[in-house]
Parts: sequence; C-alpha cells; structure tokens
Amino acid sequence: MRRYAFWLWLLLAAGLLALAPLALNEYWMRVASSVLMWVAMAEALNIILGFAGYPAFGNGAFLGVGGYTVAVLMNHGVGFWPALAASVLVPGLIATAIGVPVLRLRGHYFAIATIGVNFALLSLIQNLGFTGGGSGLSVPLYPGSAEALSVMFFYLFAGLAVVSVVVTQLVRGSRLGYAIRAIQASEEAAAVMGINGTLYKVAAWVISAMLTGAAGGIYAYWNGYIEPVSMFDIVTSVKLFIMVLIGGAGTVVGPILGAVGIEVVSEYLWSTLGGLHLAVLGLIILLAGVFVPRGLLSLRFWRRRGRGRDGAPTNRTWGVDEGGGAS
Amino acid sequence: MFLLQQLINGVMLGGVYGVAAVGFALVWGVMNEINIAHAAFMVIGAYTSFFLFTTLHVDPLASIVVAMAVAFALAYPIQRYLLNRALPHGLVITLATTFGLNLFLENVVRRVFSSDYRSISPSYITTSFSLGPLTLPLVPLLVFVLAVAFTAGLHLFLERSSLGLAIRATALNRVAARIVGIPVQVVYAFTFALGAALAAASGTMIGTLQSIYPGMGDAFLTKVFVITALGGFGSIPGALVGSLILSLVEVLSATYLSPNIVDFVAFSLLVVVLVVRPQGLFGKRFYGEEASA
Repeated sequence: MRRYAFWLWLLLAAGLLALAPLALNEYWMRVASSVLMWVAMAEALNIILGFAGYPAFGNGAFLGVGGYTVAVLMNHGVGFWPALAASVLVPGLIATAIGVPVLRLRGHYFAIATIGVNFALLSLIQNLGFTGGGSGLSVPLYPGSAEALSVMFFYLFAGLAVVSVVVTQLVRGSRLGYAIRAIQASEEAAAVMGINGTLYKVAAWVISAMLTGAAGGIYAYWNGYIEPVSMFDIVTSVKLFIMVLIGGAGTVVGPILGAVGIEVVSEYLWSTLGGLHLAVLGLIILLAGVFVPRGLLSLRFWRRRGRGRDGAPTNRTWGVDEGGGAS
Repeated sequence: MFLLQQLINGVMLGGVYGVAAVGFALVWGVMNEINIAHAAFMVIGAYTSFFLFTTLHVDPLASIVVAMAVAFALAYPIQRYLLNRALPHGLVITLATTFGLNLFLENVVRRVFSSDYRSISPSYITTSFSLGPLTLPLVPLLVFVLAVAFTAGLHLFLERSSLGLAIRATALNRVAARIVGIPVQVVYAFTFALGAALAAASGTMIGTLQSIYPGMGDAFLTKVFVITALGGFGSIPGALVGSLILSLVEVLSATYLSPNIVDFVAFSLLVVVLVVRPQGLFGKRFYGEEASA
C-alpha cells in the first residue's frame, strides 16, 4: 500500500488540478498558475540541491534561458510547441557544457560559480542583437480569448508541476537518485564505490535545468513580454532556495509545501499590507531560518533537531563540504 | 596618459569596493556565513550619513563613524540572538536567513526614506587637483585614502589585538577555540557586527561618490561576491587585491571593449578563476575548510 501512496496522492492532486478552472475566477487562476510554476522550479532545484547537495545558486538563470529561447524562436515564426521543446533542450545543453567544469567545484565555490554564470548570461542577453538587448522582447500573443488563455496556461503550468514532481519521485528511486545521494553523503566514498561522480552530477543538473527552462518557456508566452533583468533576477534563485529549504530539501513533498506556502503567504501579505509586504516576508524568512532550519517537514521529528550550538556540524549541513567531505 | 588616468580612476574605485569586500570576506571566512544582509548594512550606513547631512549638516566623512556605530549596534544582537542559531545548519541556511534579514532591513529603509534617489553632496564635492595632465578629484581621493586606512586597520586589528587573535583562532578551529576559553558565540556576534560596520562605512563612501537609493546595496553585493571569490575567501589582503583587479578590469573593459560588456567580462573572469583556481588568485585555503579538518 505504501508503495502506491505517492501515485494515489498524485492522481488525487492531478484530478483536483484538472477541475480547478471550474471553481476559480480569473484572479485566482493567475495566482494558481504562478504557484504551480514555482512548484515546478522548486522541485527542479531540489534535484540538484536536495539530492546531490550542490547549492546551484544561479538556477534561476535557466528560467531566463528558457524564456528567451521561446521568445526568440516565436519571433522568428516558430510555433509555441516546438519553441517550448527547444526551451527544454537549450538549458539542458548549457547545463551540460557548463556543468562539466563547474560541478567539479564544491560548496561555496560551486554556489558562487553559478551566480557568475547567471550574471554572465544576463550581460550576454543584454548585449546580443537578436534578444532585444536591455529593452526586452515581446512574444506573439496567444490567439484565443482571455478566458481560454487563462485556462490553457493554468493547465500548462499544472502539467509542468506534475511532471516535475513525477520526475523527482522517479529520480529518487533510480540509480541516478542513489548515486547523487551517495555523492551528497561523501563524494570520495561514492567515487571509491565506483560511482562516476561527474556523469551523475551533470545528469542531475541537466534535468534540473530542463524543468526550469520549460517553466521559463511557458512563462514567456504567458506574460507576452520578457526583459533580461527580471528573467535573470537573482531573487528568483534565492526565492527557490528558500522554498526548497523551508519545505524540506531532499524530499519530494517538501518543495511543493515550500513553494505553495511562500507564494500564498506573499500574495496574502501583498494584498493586505501593500508596501510593507516585502519587509514582513523578509522577517518570516529570517525567523523560519532561525527557528525551523530543517524545513517544515522536520517539524514532525522534534528529537532529531540539531543541537550543535556553536557551529559544530549537525548531521546535515547543506552545501558545505566541511572537512573535505570526510566528516 | 589617457590609460594612466583610467588606471587611477580604477584604483580609486577599487578602494571603495575593498572596504565593502573585506567586511564580507571576514564574516564568510570566520564563521562560514555568506551574509546577504551586507547589502542592507551598506544601505543603512549610506542613509545614516544622508540623514545626518540633511538634518544636522554633518560632513559625510565625519559621519562615517556614526554610520559604523549604528550598523554595529544593530548587527551585534542580530547575530548573537538570531543568526547564531541558524549557523550550525550550514552555509545555505544562513544564506537564506540573511537574505530574509536583508529583505526586511532594506524595505524598512525604503519605508522610512522612500525609494527616491538621494545624494550627499558637501561643498567640496567638485574640488579636484591637477597633477600635470592628470586629474585627481578630491572626494574619491579622500575616500580611497580612508578605504586603505580601514583595510590596514582591520588587518592590524586581526593580527595584533587579542580580540583579533580570538577571531582568527575561532576561524581556524572553533572547537579548539572553545576549549581554550574563547566565547565563540560572542566572537561570532562581534565579527558579524564588525563586518556590518565596514559595510556601513562603504555605504557612506559610495554615498559621497554617487546617488543612493534603498536597492543600492544589492548592486554592490554582486560585485563584492566577485571580489571575494577572486581574492580568496576569508583572506583580507586578498579581498583588497580582488577589489583592485575587479575595478581595473571594469575600467579597462569599459575603455577598450564596450561599457556594456563590463559585467560579462567580470563574471566570466569569475567563473574561469573559480574553475582554474577555486581558492582565489591570492587566497590560501579557506578558513572554514580547515575548521573541522
């Protein structure tokens, strides 16, 4: 029974998502679409951060790459579906090319390098002719009615979110999943066991990049206009990190909780507090990091909370390979 | 001569980057904490000096001390009573937590002072000296001298004072530091507050050179990241050297290539340096890495 529990829950969730447009008005459809987009991206980040333990801090860059792939292709007369397929492939190729050198770096070094990649891509897009430069690029409008548009994009984001969750679940139980978790536990030990570290790390990052790129592709068509600064905003990456960490990294359900929680809370704060909503959101993130550092899912396991008060590593420290991974 | 003038401008810019970067590198090196809120403390410093200048006409170069004190007083309890609890959970958790802190502080500043661009402009702002065909503007020159003094002061403090010794000991091995009686929690809080004070000083310095606004810290933080990685994590002289390299690369690529691709050059350089030499150009091994080795 437990074996099938995940798939039963998933079927239930997919059914609810399929029926949701009947119950939601235009405003809530927009909010729900955006929440689902964040779920997909958080789950994608979870694969490289939560399972492999590599803090891919610039993962938001793939959102930009995917978005620009769709925008540029559609401006050259390519249809949406082939363009969307390309927005999956191009980030995947970039992650492969960059991943081989960059994934050799660990912890801080890797995090910083991905930030560097994010800003280098931003600067490149701002200066290339065919991307519209700094002033952005408009995407051909969706030809249907406003209502059809909101339903179609809701289903697209819902589909992508479901795909991301399924991919994460499949990765978790696969050879790849065991390999990257072994790498997180100790890269040297994994290598001794005969795990090809580079191969599996790159594979995990490519999957992560492809899912994030697809989100960017759909977003570009949905929004109708994209510009470099917001598509490569480092805040996107930070927000994804917080969603994964607050929910619980390395679990399938955690990032979903984190993404839905953060998006719903920030939407609520925005509608009730207006100008101060970012300050309050910041305070919530600060307090969550201080008091629930292992994520919401950990709340069930009170006994396992870390007690290293002065910085002694507890059983899980994200992203830092202290003492060369042999601790 | 033109090249020489550009180099001089680059070096003076590098001084300001340096003050921002050494504080950041210190916090990162000593307690393995990437402090995103460094940006907010820069903003707090700049606005403290702006407030004192507009209300009491205090000279910004004098109010640097006040800006530093404000940031120090604010930062100490934050690390002592909040961030110290997040610290054992690793780099990424502290990164997320300080991001929240940054968002909070920055938006409080935005609420109080609005998002408008402001400037701190004392009467001598346009004064400059000529040195043959070269021009040395007074304010950037003063700021550069101060920046060098601050960095040298920090270096001496870490190397010579007993508190500095305690900070370095904690960075090298926190368990051993505790055994010999160093109050690690207090050292962390002090280090964080010192980093915040340096951030505030750099914020005020930036305020005398260009306009300030509540989001200014974020733009500088990305540069500080590059510098810290270039110079070597946790290395104070490395941060200064990294600042000079970045500012020179920026000035030269703006002059000889195009002003538009300055960031592309800077960030590509960063990625290449990281891949080839992860410990940074001049860095020794990272403090935190040796902590539990």
